[in-house]
Amino acid sequence: MDDFQLRSERRPSDGGLPARRAVTHWAWRLFRREWRQQFLILALITVAVAATILGSSVAVNNPPPKDAGFGTAPYSVSFASYSSKAQRFIAKAEHLGTVQVIENATYSIPGSINTYQLRSQNAPGPFGAPILSLVSGHYPSGADEVAVTSGVASAFHLSVGKSWQVGGVTRDVVGIVQNPQSLLDAFALVVPGQVPNPSQVTVLFRVPSSALRALGKGVQISTPASVAASNPLNPETISLAALVLGMLLIALVSIGGFTVLAQRRMRSIGMLESIGATDRHVRLVVSANGTVVGIVGAILGFVVGFAGWLAYRPSFEQSAHHLVGAFALPWLVVLLAMVLAVLAAYFASSRPARAVTKIPIVHALSGRPAPPRQIHRSALPGIVLLVAAFVLLGYSGGTGGGNGSGGAPELLLGLVFLMPGLILLAPFFLSLTERVSRRAPIAARLALRDLARYRARSGSALSAISIGVLISVIVVLAAASRFSNVLDYAGPNLASNQLALHTGFPPQGVILVHRNAKGQLVRVRHHKTETATPAQLAAGAEQIAKGLDAQLLALESPNAYLSGTQGGRSWSGQIYVATPQLLREFGIKASEINPKADVLTSRPGLSGVSGLVMDYGSGNPKRGANQNGNGGSVRDPLIQEVSALPSGTSAPNTIITEYAMKKFHISSDASDWLVFGTQSFTADQISSAQLTASTAQLQVESRNDIPSGSTIINWATLFGIIIALGVLAMSVGLVRSETSSELRTLAATGASSYTRRTLTAVTAGALGFLGALLGVVGGYVAMIGWLRSNSLNGGISALGNVPFGDLSLILFGMPAIAAVVGWLFASREPAVLGRQPIE
Amino acid sequence: MSMLELRQVSKRYGQGANEVDAIADIDLAVERGSLVAIMGPSGSGKSTLLTIAGSLEEPTTGDVMIDGARLSGMSRNDKARLRRRSVGYVFQDFNLLAGLTAVENVSLPLELDGISMKKARAKGMAALEGLGLADRAESFPDQLSGGERQRVAIARAVVGERSLLLADEPSGALDSVNGEAVMRMILAACHGGVAAVVVTHDAKLASWADRVVFLRDGNAVDETLPPPSPEELLNPEVPNPS
Repeated sequence: MDDFQLRSERRPSDGGLPARRAVTHWAWRLFRREWRQQFLILALITVAVAATILGSSVAVNNPPPKDAGFGTAPYSVSFASYSSKAQRFIAKAEHLGTVQVIENATYSIPGSINTYQLRSQNAPGPFGAPILSLVSGHYPSGADEVAVTSGVASAFHLSVGKSWQVGGVTRDVVGIVQNPQSLLDAFALVVPGQVPNPSQVTVLFRVPSSALRALGKGVQISTPASVAASNPLNPETISLAALVLGMLLIALVSIGGFTVLAQRRMRSIGMLESIGATDRHVRLVVSANGTVVGIVGAILGFVVGFAGWLAYRPSFEQSAHHLVGAFALPWLVVLLAMVLAVLAAYFASSRPARAVTKIPIVHALSGRPAPPRQIHRSALPGIVLLVAAFVLLGYSGGTGGGNGSGGAPELLLGLVFLMPGLILLAPFFLSLTERVSRRAPIAARLALRDLARYRARSGSALSAISIGVLISVIVVLAAASRFSNVLDYAGPNLASNQLALHTGFPPQGVILVHRNAKGQLVRVRHHKTETATPAQLAAGAEQIAKGLDAQLLALESPNAYLSGTQGGRSWSGQIYVATPQLLREFGIKASEINPKADVLTSRPGLSGVSGLVMDYGSGNPKRGANQNGNGGSVRDPLIQEVSALPSGTSAPNTIITEYAMKKFHISSDASDWLVFGTQSFTADQISSAQLTASTAQLQVESRNDIPSGSTIINWATLFGIIIALGVLAMSVGLVRSETSSELRTLAATGASSYTRRTLTAVTAGALGFLGALLGVVGGYVAMIGWLRSNSLNGGISALGNVPFGDLSLILFGMPAIAAVVGWLFASREPAVLGRQPIE
Repeated sequence: MSMLELRQVSKRYGQGANEVDAIADIDLAVERGSLVAIMGPSGSGKSTLLTIAGSLEEPTTGDVMIDGARLSGMSRNDKARLRRRSVGYVFQDFNLLAGLTAVENVSLPLELDGISMKKARAKGMAALEGLGLADRAESFPDQLSGGERQRVAIARAVVGERSLLLADEPSGALDSVNGEAVMRMILAACHGGVAAVVVTHDAKLASWADRVVFLRDGNAVDETLPPPSPEELLNPEVPNPS
């Protein structure tokens, strides 16, 4: 025996590190040679990681930073005034460590409902640098100097060098400043001691932690961590949850891709085994390939995501209203996204890797497709998991006295059980389809049978589709049940071309300033003395409408209101009077109104709600007595639904008829106005309206961003359809490639392109339909489970409002689109799919 | 002791009515340094015999022994190790790994056996040099001609301490010149002490063997010493294996 043989005897039986290196090296070479075949998986991972990085960066940086308001201080305490308690605390803190005091008084900006702060802060203070920076000029250095933010400068038409009376003192504007952590922070900066009656005293300090206990008696000491911990569902948590879900979908889709890839390499793997590779080596080839795809995808995703963030950051800072560093990424999320991408690709390739070692070497060498695997009896564990999810969700829904507020862990666990439940049920659904297709035409029968036979590909694709649809259906059903209650009407308050004007004052504690007859700003001590008359209010409203070149509609508030309770939700709603002007404005003719109707509404279903009560006159605690000094209640007033009325929550969507006004002797007054523009109002127009409104003691309400129930449902439907179609686009080709040899045989026996098109169309349509069905079933299991013990929206009866249109789109529309697209794209079958590579 | 010994080896495929005997009760012994050719019509069981001999497939009945080691009791990993260390395969369509260069293909069995890349590569290069392919060592399979690919496959089959070479139609995809060159190489390996079994349809190539076994319908129907080849008759220097 020579040296070589002696050494061989000492070598590990599986070849050890050199063998693993050689196999990994080959996997890397294969990836480089065949990256196009893995492009879809690679693109999927790249896009997912990039989207996670960009999305989480935006989500995390959108709110002010966690340490906003703290500067560089580790601790902060706020007092409502410069009280003796505050003074004692400051004295003690100064004795123990370093302190910086910031005093604020809130002033309203004339002509606007917005406010600004008169702030005293030592500019070169020990902790304040992150929350104060100089844009131009210099910081105030004396009592007669002030620096303002650009917002204050704009509101008061100030610039450096001008004089401005603020806080009772005329001061020179010496600089423009900003709070980098909140660009919306409007303030006028003066030197310490120049805020006469501060409404907020913030003490930033650093003391030894051992001194905190003694210092903290009777005060609430905050830290950046305690502020962040007050919201467990912070953007990072949400990003991570979305990331895990996204990677699960990617892993499911990738399984099919890696399976086909392993099949394409079957001969190479057979060769490897014929020269002595063990099962472990073979598994390593496939899983190393998966890992390489994951690593490359993660790196590319990071590069793309980071580049996207750098490009988007300048505009993002404008919308987020605070400065954000280029590297202010949620690095934990970024790191986890990259690690999860690699893990998802690794695990997606592990299953085909295990499967490929079970194929006999001679079969592998021949390059013949492996015989289909036997049906796994996975339905039972799938059903068990669904039942467990149902029970857990039910428990969660019943917590907090029936409002589901205390069952977050059970809710999450229930959803976590739901997904593997659906994944395990997917193969069962496929075999069920095969059974029911026995009488179908040959092409459809073959397609459905192949789906069932080659479940390694179709099963994972079906799981991915069903999970995408599941998420969508849960959102659709939750929104439908949440918004189905007509008494819990929610959505956009107004259309974008509407403004509502209300009478009202700024909140308590805000110091009002008023422009007097000489045009000077003076401080208002008592609101009463400044209350405008109805005529003045109407004049102000007219002025606003005129300034906007828009129509004005006076909304009369009756001495009455509607109230009721349904499905756990109560309503005590604002109603207006159906004046002739209002009816004319919305194109409602008198002939369309039931002469006996008490109330008109655009709220669908309100007329069917029983138990509604209309209180009027002295029965109305808000409005006082009616014209005759009498009050009363009407149970179940006659309500007529009129779709022409606006549907905004702040618009006159429910109005009392003149018939009811006369019948019950209800009085009214004009306290609100609706302004109609011919097109959407711009931010400048709204700002201008606000300026005018505040001098007229009016408040302007413009369209908010609250989505309506139908908006949420439609977007969720679209999300589900896009996810499902995306998965189908990536997986139908893979599923059909497995049977490409059959296609050749079919072609040889005279099958036309019609057959080929039908095969692909049925494959896409059936996968889409089964995924949608499974997702809808899962969604209903989840929602029935949660609502059955939840009373907030009326329990399970809330599901009675079935969003037929959206569910039909998911169940039938999406598979139909998939089938049509499959039909169109199946005209040219790539020949390479059917060939085994020959080296 | 024979390098390869098959005792009453049978292989049956399918079940019930579909049952087919690919080979039945085959006995075969191949000594070190000898070349055995297997001939027979298509479907006679030649390739099945070879795959069973090389541990790629299990016989239904019978024993296979390689270098005295019985395959029937071995685990999959042990068989893989045996293939790495003792058995070399040459296939009709070369079966080189597309992602690896010629030298990497040749040194792969050694690396799989735990030999460091540097040493394995040196042995691979030596094997390629022995077959006149040193200058194509860094070429990928798709950059080589058919003859070159088969020479690389032979180098891979004999690299290291392989003592059993199994070749399934090694010249089937080659022209006659390259086919003969391949047979010369296999014969040269046998002269170096390797036991070789070659499946071939070509009687001329089979005449290079020490022994020819004829298969028909899975049964060994004849076993002969080949007659002297024209080359031998014309050149008495060529050794007669008999």
